[in-house]
Amino acid sequence: MKVTYPYMGYMSAPVRHMLESLAIEVTEAPPISKRTVELGTLHSPEGVCLPYKLNMGNFLEGLERGADTIVTMCGAGKCRFGFYGAVQRTALTQGREIAFCSLDTERLLPDMYRFLRRAAPSAGRLTVAGSIALAVKKLRALDAVNDAKNRFAPRADVPERVVDICEYGTGEIAGAESFAEVNYSRDLIVSVMSSYCRADAPQPPRVALVGEFYVLLEPYANRWIENALVKQGVEVRKFVRTGGWAYAKTLLQTFGLFDEEREYLDEARPYFNHHVGGDGLKSVGTSLWSARQGYDGIIHVFPFGCMPEIVAQYALKNIAADYGLPLLTLSIDEHASDVGIATRLEAFVDCIKRKKEGSRL
Amino acid sequence: MTISVGIPRALLFHEFGELWQSFFSNLGVAVSVSPATTKTLLDRGTSLAVDESCLPLKLYLGHAESLLGCSSHLFVPRIACYHRDYYLCAKFAGLPDIVRNTFGLSADRVIAPDVDGRRPLCGINAVRTAAGAVGRSTFAGLASLRQALAAWRTQPAGPGVAADTKVAVIGHSYILRDPFLGGEVLSLLAARSVATVTPDDVPARALYAEAGRFAPEVHWQLSAKLAGATRYFAVRPDIAGLVLVSCFGCGPDSLVNEFLEYRVLKGCGKPYLILNVDEHTGRAGVATRVEAFWDLVEWRRRK
Repeated sequence: MKVTYPYMGYMSAPVRHMLESLAIEVTEAPPISKRTVELGTLHSPEGVCLPYKLNMGNFLEGLERGADTIVTMCGAGKCRFGFYGAVQRTALTQGREIAFCSLDTERLLPDMYRFLRRAAPSAGRLTVAGSIALAVKKLRALDAVNDAKNRFAPRADVPERVVDICEYGTGEIAGAESFAEVNYSRDLIVSVMSSYCRADAPQPPRVALVGEFYVLLEPYANRWIENALVKQGVEVRKFVRTGGWAYAKTLLQTFGLFDEEREYLDEARPYFNHHVGGDGLKSVGTSLWSARQGYDGIIHVFPFGCMPEIVAQYALKNIAADYGLPLLTLSIDEHASDVGIATRLEAFVDCIKRKKEGSRL
Repeated sequence: MTISVGIPRALLFHEFGELWQSFFSNLGVAVSVSPATTKTLLDRGTSLAVDESCLPLKLYLGHAESLLGCSSHLFVPRIACYHRDYYLCAKFAGLPDIVRNTFGLSADRVIAPDVDGRRPLCGINAVRTAAGAVGRSTFAGLASLRQALAAWRTQPAGPGVAADTKVAVIGHSYILRDPFLGGEVLSLLAARSVATVTPDDVPARALYAEAGRFAPEVHWQLSAKLAGATRYFAVRPDIAGLVLVSCFGCGPDSLVNEFLEYRVLKGCGKPYLILNVDEHTGRAGVATRVEAFWDLVEWRRRK
């Protein structure tokens, strides 16, 4: 069995380590490139959202390299993500001998456990459970490192350095063998990053990054928007995190301790009063929270045609108007170009910087 | 100020409109329904909506705007799901918020009962919200709903077409029943005296039974109905071809059409056409496709 899976930011590194530690053979697709986008688009329905097309591209490139088992995730109620697996399975298994496993995000832990037990029959129950726990731990450590980068880089003299250290740290943490090692690497990387940051640096402008899950987590899809912002001296706060999500979906949800709807519903009122699937409610809730916390701008990133985010956009427009906050809406499809996004980002950063200076004078 | 309720003639109005109308008129409240879709209405809706919204949602906003001047309240139910096995698309769950945010309406001008079949007592709560908003008691609301439901359920089923060669036109009821959106396809076929059937001509029970084959993969309520209809029509000998009508920006359709193409249409051996309509009104594009499709159906029959 040669397993392949779609990319989603830094999620793939710990996942690969987890599978290999259980002696499951992994055939990773090459990193997302222009070819992935083209291949995926060619084999997808025209009107579907970008994450579907990128996933398809990953699968096809993984199969080209000899994979015979695809593992992916599926679910999220009203959003299209819940239907990905059904269509991808039909499209990919036509005339091909491949196994297609989709793990339902609504019961992620049991589904994942069942899959690993089947894929690695020789591994004991505790080993499997332990490797899932370690993978989640690593993802949370990567979240912490990424958050630290977004905080320290805009305050540093050479933000590029901090970004480089963060990238290096990702590999370090992904390869760690124990909880203690993960903690040690995380603390070390964070402290190295903080040493680049001037102690007396003024508060840089702060931007809230909200929007759809996949596009926010996969840097290829969002054109490295976080790094581009911190390099221009803007502090970024992202509310969707890989590890936080995995932790909530595996552990908390299994024990009934997590209800996303309840969490964000109170934050989103009065602009939004119901869960609409996907991350729509969360986008509104976190935007309103950051508006009240005095952030300097909101950037809303989502795939073109994303249903929950479009519903959220009606509310975001009003939040931005009511709180006098600049709002940049980036709707991303397979045609999105680096230059197009970079230009709009630069203009937006100029706008918030000028606004912040104006208010100080 | 006298209370009058406005109901936009779009989206689920085409399914439940008569029920909603009689619910309010049984309570003694004046009800006005927006006029049939026109180009101006659609253009207004398009300019009000977020660009990437789907076509029916743009139309809905146009209809809603036309009612703002003449009614004190707008009836915009939040229908998250009404069948226990299926969800509705995100836009139905967010509809009242979309309307409120677009027009900057205060919460008490929009009557937005929550319909969520998974929650206990949601029916009673919905009636309480709707009746309370027009100043009636929950009890009066329940009585009125009972009466309205009785009248609504005794509606005759679709007329049933007798011709031996028919074309099945499959699409959401809010597309097919709107003369401006999908109705155009039906009238084009009618102009060539082609007999057509739509999912409305089939009892819902039969559609859901067919759709059950795809469970739990197809989890959208309205898409399940379309999937069921496609399966149902694909195997009928009297159906000569299938037309799937969807509209720009429809999220569920973008995947479900592909799914149906793989699972049903390619294997059924009948000509099929998947047609996407948008707000750019040029009749020629749709006409050409429908005519080419009908030519193919006739050619197949002669062979």
